[in-house]
Amino acid sequence: MFSFSTRPARIAAFFAIVLALVVVLFPFVWVFLESIKPPSLGGRPDVWVFPPTGDNWNNVLFQSDVPSNILNSFFVAFATVAIALLVGCPAAYAFSRFRGYHGARYSILAAEMMPPAILILPFFLVLYHLQMIDSLAGVIAAHLSFVVPVVTWFMIGFFDEVPRDLEHQAMVDGYTRFQAFYKVILPAVRPGIGAAGVFGFVLSWNDLFYALLLTGGESRTLPVAIAGYWTFRGVDMGKMAVAILIAVIPVLILSFFIQKHLVRGIGGGAVKY
Amino acid sequence: MSYVSLKSVRKKFGAVEVLKGVYLDIGRHQFTVLLGPSGCGKSTTLRLVAGLEPVSDGQIFIDGQDVTMLEPRERDIAMVFQNYALYPTMTVEQNMGFGLKAKNVPASEIRTAVHKAADLLDITPLLARKPGALSGGQQQRVAIGRAIVRQPKLFLFDEPLSNLDAKLRVETRAEILNLHKRLNATTIYVTHDQEEAMTMADRIVIMNQGVIEQEGTPEDVFFHPASRMVAAFIGSPVMNFFDGVGTADGNIETPVGIFKGFPQVKAGQKVEIGIRPDDLLPAEPGDNTVTGQVQLSELLGVRAIIHLQTENGSAFKAVVDHEIYREMKLANDASFTVREGRLHVFDSQSGQRL
Amino acid sequence: MQLKHRFVLPLALVLSAVMLYPVAFSAWISLHDYRLTRLNDVRWVGLDNYTFIATDPGFLNAMGNTITFVIGAVTLELILGLGLAILLQRLVRFQNFIRSTLLAPMFITPIAVGLMFRFLLNSELGVISHYLGEIGISIDWFGPQLALFSIILIDVWQWTPFMVLMFLAGLESLPKAPFEAARIDGASAWLTFRSVTLPMLRPVITVAIIIRALDAFKVFEYVFAITRGGPGDATETIMYYIYQAGFRFFRMGEAAAAAFLLIVVILVLVIALVKATKSNTEAPNDV
Repeated sequence: MFSFSTRPARIAAFFAIVLALVVVLFPFVWVFLESIKPPSLGGRPDVWVFPPTGDNWNNVLFQSDVPSNILNSFFVAFATVAIALLVGCPAAYAFSRFRGYHGARYSILAAEMMPPAILILPFFLVLYHLQMIDSLAGVIAAHLSFVVPVVTWFMIGFFDEVPRDLEHQAMVDGYTRFQAFYKVILPAVRPGIGAAGVFGFVLSWNDLFYALLLTGGESRTLPVAIAGYWTFRGVDMGKMAVAILIAVIPVLILSFFIQKHLVRGIGGGAVKY
Repeated sequence: MSYVSLKSVRKKFGAVEVLKGVYLDIGRHQFTVLLGPSGCGKSTTLRLVAGLEPVSDGQIFIDGQDVTMLEPRERDIAMVFQNYALYPTMTVEQNMGFGLKAKNVPASEIRTAVHKAADLLDITPLLARKPGALSGGQQQRVAIGRAIVRQPKLFLFDEPLSNLDAKLRVETRAEILNLHKRLNATTIYVTHDQEEAMTMADRIVIMNQGVIEQEGTPEDVFFHPASRMVAAFIGSPVMNFFDGVGTADGNIETPVGIFKGFPQVKAGQKVEIGIRPDDLLPAEPGDNTVTGQVQLSELLGVRAIIHLQTENGSAFKAVVDHEIYREMKLANDASFTVREGRLHVFDSQSGQRL
Repeated sequence: MQLKHRFVLPLALVLSAVMLYPVAFSAWISLHDYRLTRLNDVRWVGLDNYTFIATDPGFLNAMGNTITFVIGAVTLELILGLGLAILLQRLVRFQNFIRSTLLAPMFITPIAVGLMFRFLLNSELGVISHYLGEIGISIDWFGPQLALFSIILIDVWQWTPFMVLMFLAGLESLPKAPFEAARIDGASAWLTFRSVTLPMLRPVITVAIIIRALDAFKVFEYVFAITRGGPGDATETIMYYIYQAGFRFFRMGEAAAAAFLLIVVILVLVIALVKATKSNTEAPNDV
């Protein structure tokens, strides 16, 4: 399985990878089993064989707020990513192509690294004054603060890889610079847009910190709902497991498609591989 | 006794067999050039000798020892790569000393050896630099220096000059030859450039499609090519070929005329005759001559290449002196006879020399 | 307006609204006694919040915990990530499947990760604790001694894949020739790794460490999901401290000051890290 030259090295590598796989997969297997355990056995660490039941799934999907939490999360992530791509793509293109934007490139990186602790207080206070706590618009605004820089940073890297001759050709052929950008360059970076969009979506979908403080009641997103299953009074393990799986599965599927492009995006043109 | 020896060496990459049973013997101190078109298996052969790839079948010996299953480091060889393969994060000095460091040679000895090699190659001022700060030619010298420092049993060169510009290539060629004379080391050198092969080699090994076509001195392969492939590959401009058929009285009949005196050709045997453009001498029409209409002439200086076309439409070239070039007129006919003993005959089917 | 500025204008507007304005507002808050419970009585206090926070044992403890967490987690992730990346690169079968599986944790919402491990490691209900107990090992994962370490392990579980992703791409982009030269030069696997692979990988390693460290400073979800800062204040991280100050005690001014001090600490660490990795690579007479 491995191209190491000695047999002991190959055997050691095999066991190391198997161990890594077990460590990674075990929590997923456990959480799946919990989700189909009869509630009476919920949380028992020593029970592995039991008649599977759909009770937890039924309960979460049809008798709880989780479906509306899913919709909230989806709407927030989708709107955030749409806005981020809309403002991020042209700017990233400019950072990639025009002189005088070298510093801007790195201030985007700095923005990406801004601790949410600084931003949460003003967001909270402004939304509080506007009486918009508990609204999705507030969370979207907050999520823009980290999704926009990430998406822009990703796109800089992808634009850097498109040869300049491409838009020069388009401009010689009679397009304006802007036409060249959206008719020739944007289609050329479509995989990059997909990767940046999916990554931004995942970041927004996974956020707890902002959503916890800026939503409540009707507007709760899925991570907030998951956190809500564990209270000081106790936990409903089976239902929580279902909610976790619902939050995790779509993201894992999405991420599978962007893995190839992810590294280029994270490097953002700063790391030349 | 041979110093490096390949016995029935085969190499497969997946289902593709790139070496189909290579036998090769290389003498001590010899400068052997592996020559051939791209994809012929010459670089693969070198990498097998180096131990960078395992053989699929067969055996390799170096200095009498079977090294077939040995790691590169156990073979005591040095190699100069096409793109130099310098360690980008190390200085020139560290690059050159790395092979000795790997053998746990004391630092002071490494230093002495590196400086000695650097002197030899005139690269002492570069020792503190990193490869990124060197020109292509300088990187090339460092790569050679790295090989010399090791004092290996065997030097391997994998197209080391192909990334240099023409002038530097000729200079470095001479330098490698000088080094070879001074160090007297056994060398295997891979190239696709026949000029390099002809000027540098003690022995040339011409490979094609995974087998050795011919092995010999530069004179051997030029004047007595063993096959049509070798004949066509070596020499510039390329050899002229004409189809022909053997006759009962030991002649060859071709569309351009009859060539007499080839008893080795059987009656009715299909052959190709080959004549180098340099071996065509102006003559009156007759037997053993080729006649064609002048299509184009290129003056190279003292000599010129004349492009001609025979009556039946086959094209050929002749290399003539300047005086004759001046007499040749476009669209006129010109006849040439073949220099004594320089007409090569190959079997049409096998391509082998007859 | 110049064309190039028109491309950037929308981004500039959005970032002004969601970053510049909030940061400025935050700075303003940090200079006031700003309490959510006394919004009509916001008073200018100058740097009082900063001096209070900088000497607050709770803040210093949280900062210490956070730095321990960042250094511990990033170091472990670096070593494991490098090892796994090398294994994955040498993998010749099932490569795609194993790669995708091993990368999975980094895409999951951290609150889910926190809760999963909360119950896997729980001393009464936890599967892992249960079976460790069966073979006579009893570990109180979230007790005062180990809680911070356990949180580090959880971060390692989730974020080692990020390192693997970066290093694998880095390894695969390295030119092959120097490695063949090293084989010819007779370098052992260890010498090759130390002298050829690591130096060539250094830029990628630096970037990966910086990205991961900056992200690790934001750790919140695991603490929120598992320990809520406890036992005592053993796992109170800086983000959790700010969350408590701002939203449990409603002292916005102090929370804002703490956030700005966090940025200072992060900047100092990043600069130190960049310097440290740079100085090692420069040769004496480098050109």
